[in-house]
Amino acid sequence: MANQWFAVRKELKSRPRTMMAILSFVLPLLIWSAVSYIPWLWHPMMSVTEPGDVSYFKVGTLVERTVFDQEVLNMQQADKALPQGDRANPVYLPAPHEVAVAFYTAFTTEPQRRNENWLHESLWSSIQVIFWGFFISSIIGVPIGILCGTYDVFSRLFEPFVEFFRYLPAPAFGALAVAILGIHAAPKIAIIFIGTFFQQILVVSNTTRKLDPALLEAAQTLGAKNLSMLFRVVIPGIITDLYKDMRILLGWAWTYLIVAELIGTSSGITWFITQQARYKNFDNVFAAIMIIGIIGLTTDLLLAWLGKRIFPWQRAAATA
Amino acid sequence: MKTSLRKLAGLLAGVALTAASALANAEPLKIGYSDWPGWVAWEVAIEKQWFKEEGVDVQFEWFDYVASMDAFAAGQLDAVAMTNGDALVTGSTGAKSVMILINDYSNGNDMVVAAPGIKSIKDLKGKKVGVEIGFVGHLLLLDALEQNGMTETDVELVNVPTNETPQVLASGEVDAIVAWQPNSGMALTLVPGSSPIHTSADQPGLIYDVLAVSPSSLAANKEEWSKVVKVWYRVVDYLYDPATRDDAIKIMASRVGISAEEYSGFVEGTKILTLEEAKGFYDMTEGFKSLYGSSLISDKFNVDNEVYGTAEDVQSYIDGSITLGM
Repeated sequence: MANQWFAVRKELKSRPRTMMAILSFVLPLLIWSAVSYIPWLWHPMMSVTEPGDVSYFKVGTLVERTVFDQEVLNMQQADKALPQGDRANPVYLPAPHEVAVAFYTAFTTEPQRRNENWLHESLWSSIQVIFWGFFISSIIGVPIGILCGTYDVFSRLFEPFVEFFRYLPAPAFGALAVAILGIHAAPKIAIIFIGTFFQQILVVSNTTRKLDPALLEAAQTLGAKNLSMLFRVVIPGIITDLYKDMRILLGWAWTYLIVAELIGTSSGITWFITQQARYKNFDNVFAAIMIIGIIGLTTDLLLAWLGKRIFPWQRAAATA
Repeated sequence: MKTSLRKLAGLLAGVALTAASALANAEPLKIGYSDWPGWVAWEVAIEKQWFKEEGVDVQFEWFDYVASMDAFAAGQLDAVAMTNGDALVTGSTGAKSVMILINDYSNGNDMVVAAPGIKSIKDLKGKKVGVEIGFVGHLLLLDALEQNGMTETDVELVNVPTNETPQVLASGEVDAIVAWQPNSGMALTLVPGSSPIHTSADQPGLIYDVLAVSPSSLAANKEEWSKVVKVWYRVVDYLYDPATRDDAIKIMASRVGISAEEYSGFVEGTKILTLEEAKGFYDMTEGFKSLYGSSLISDKFNVDNEVYGTAEDVQSYIDGSITLGM
């Protein structure tokens, strides 16, 4: 039995595999729930339910436990009404059910004004920013990456500069992007582009270099020329790995979203997050962060599933 | 041959120029605004489509405050909502503007919030104060100290970004913070027993909130801008009419994404000026009772704190003619 669970570098059977996948989400949720609902675990604050005679307490005031105890002592000594309260967590750690409610209401709250968006419309604008940033980066970055991985001349020409540029923080180009591209989606797309493009070239060229040299030699022996080498050997050879790279790079692009959307007009999901954080509505903030996580994970699963359909030979290789 | 080429070039340039100016006229006036009650009030006019009724084509763009000034500085906006002090700062770095409209002055929203036990500015002697150095909060603090016969050397300043002041006060690292809403209010709720020991209500006119227009747009579209100002005073009337005040606050609250009840508190701390009140602030006199005087004080503060090098020509930043002509 133990062998089945702890076999070195052997895949688990399908049922335990699903179990582990579910558990990997359930465990953090359990920890979060425990910290939220079991009072003696953490709960460093007191939420006042009855202010007593303490001048600055109101119903719902959150104070640190030591302060609360001190006030109870003060009131005892002064022979005044004692305050009462429940143990509570700080405002920045809402409980799971509060976040769930916020999640639901965020989507169901109707826009109050003509120019206000539904949450899903804001999300859609964020997704578009990501898509265009990633798309533009890919149509330029992937060909360059493949060329760099295949021909040394391109590698020497492009890679030193790319290596230099990838260290420059994308957000630093915000002001420049606004000055050139305006205040709406364009500068935001530019930031996603800058954040993705340079890494993309290096990742793709690296993947291309890993192609089995035996394949190239065989093709050359059979008389393949430069172009047909590229299109009939190199690209088909790396396509499955390239697809995996793209999935990882897309996740990378998402991490630039918040920075990108802070540039120019406030828009998308970032507007929702920063504004709710400003007014300390952390249940909404957590809900929005989770929305991003869910979108990211769903896209990735979808792409993985799609990958299996597009490249059936890869699945055959994996199970063989 | 040469001359005809030159003529052709001239002709082309002329065509390009006319086309450009025709385009410029067709473009709406772009105005950047952000989360401060006096500016959020524009939302009422946008929602009610009053600009269309007035026959002026405007496009309001919602920003984070600092991002809105950046966009204005980059030439992407015709006007931006900012404080008179920030208009000078933005102008000193090249994006000059003219203040044509006073939305409000802060009337309590900017506060010095002190930890429990500290009851007055005088109690701050020798204590640590968290403040964003070089910004309006710093100016408020200096003025508060001066009113109490103290100077900056009597306290220890800790440079803290304004939106982090609530947490910093809660951490106990400092004895007081200076912030504006919503941060000041958050500090008060986050630190029970803390109290505002000095607010902008103690020195009304320290900070004016204005509509600052780029000089070129003002010169080219003065009539359009007077329509914008006219719409603004319709908003003010709507906000002060007891019958419609709740509706106005509801629209404003939805812009910033919080409940109307919560938001009405923020509106109270902002003295939104009626047309008659506003007219009184355009005199070129010294002191806080005029936009000019207040800006002069800001200018001196900015130079003293090395926000910029040399004093600005404050008078050239103010054009009250549109408001005064209403």
